[in-house]
Amino acid sequence: MHIVDGALATPVLIAGAAATAGGLAIGLRQLTTERIPTAGVLSAGFFVASLIHVPIGISSVHLIMNGIAGLILGWAAFPALFVGLLLQAVTFGFGGITVLGVNAVNIALPAVLAGVICRSFIRKGGRNNVLIWGSICGALAIALTTIMVSVSLALSGEEFNEAAYLVFVSHIPVMVIEGALTAAAAWLIMQVKPELFGLSQMKDV
Amino acid sequence: MRYLLLSALLLSASPAMAHKIIADLFPAGDAVEGEIGFSSGDMAVDARVEIYDISGNKLGETRTDEDGFFAWTPEGTLPAGPLKFISDLGAGHVAEMVLPAEDVPGGSLPATPGAVELNLDTTSAAPVNADALADVVAAAVRNELRPIRRELVQIRERNRFSTILGGIGLIFGLFGAFFYFSARRQLKDAEK
Repeated sequence: MHIVDGALATPVLIAGAAATAGGLAIGLRQLTTERIPTAGVLSAGFFVASLIHVPIGISSVHLIMNGIAGLILGWAAFPALFVGLLLQAVTFGFGGITVLGVNAVNIALPAVLAGVICRSFIRKGGRNNVLIWGSICGALAIALTTIMVSVSLALSGEEFNEAAYLVFVSHIPVMVIEGALTAAAAWLIMQVKPELFGLSQMKDV
Repeated sequence: MRYLLLSALLLSASPAMAHKIIADLFPAGDAVEGEIGFSSGDMAVDARVEIYDISGNKLGETRTDEDGFFAWTPEGTLPAGPLKFISDLGAGHVAEMVLPAEDVPGGSLPATPGAVELNLDTTSAAPVNADALADVVAAAVRNELRPIRRELVQIRERNRFSTILGGIGLIFGLFGAFFYFSARRQLKDAEK
């Protein structure tokens, strides 16, 4: 899911960097003291999740776990995912520094959108309700990310349909896995620590 | 452009990272030995290895054994310059190794200092063919070094794990520091 250095056109890189700067500004403002430790844990989780590879046929894809970050953190997922991406680029060469802005937007914006949409439904509680919207959140965040990756590639001169198809199809298994993981996590949080969702409610714009 | 997309896809989904190829070349006297495997610990069994010179002419080929090892002894004189060893392991995995020009066998490789000293010792003891002895010693040293080489490769891979832990620690530290400043500001505001 990480686009590498040199794959994108300069205007796309600049737009991505600008969007990330905006997202970081909003995210940092929402990152209240109480939420910083949560953001740290989710950031570390995201950092490691990308190293877990799921073999699919001859190829393999890795988990992203942006849905759960968006679900719990809202806009504050932006700085959390950004830090994870930065370290992945520096330590493992996943993505790159120049494309950091584009990658951050591609991963964090879907997280925020999926999180905000699904959180309001999850908050209503109810076992099936939480599980269904949790899995929708996990899968939706990945789906949106694949679309944004495709758009980034398309704006740099790729055929959109082809790029979108390839990226989307190869990530269907990830959507299934992350949907299940996010549903389980949402259910657990509702049982054990519902204030993780409740707190978000008060700080929401 | 399509290749660009493909490479971006491959890298983004990181199949290369999932089964990272570990390939090494060791010059071994007249021959070149090498090892091909995956970071998972599996070795590339019976894989074809092709050898090319710097301008892309094929010089020969060999196959790996069940331990992922291969040896190639060049026939005739080799062109100057580095050699390239390429092995297509399928599924987008291509191991590519370059043997630097100074390591190419058959070149003007000077005998190792150790071998020279040994030659001097043997002249007084027994009439042993110095060349033959040098070959035997070189082969023995190679055999002794082989496990160490393999271990080196493994250690290089293990560093990845400590990098992961280091990264997690860095993230926690970063957010911890942020938490500290944020909490301090909040306490100050509360005092007012």
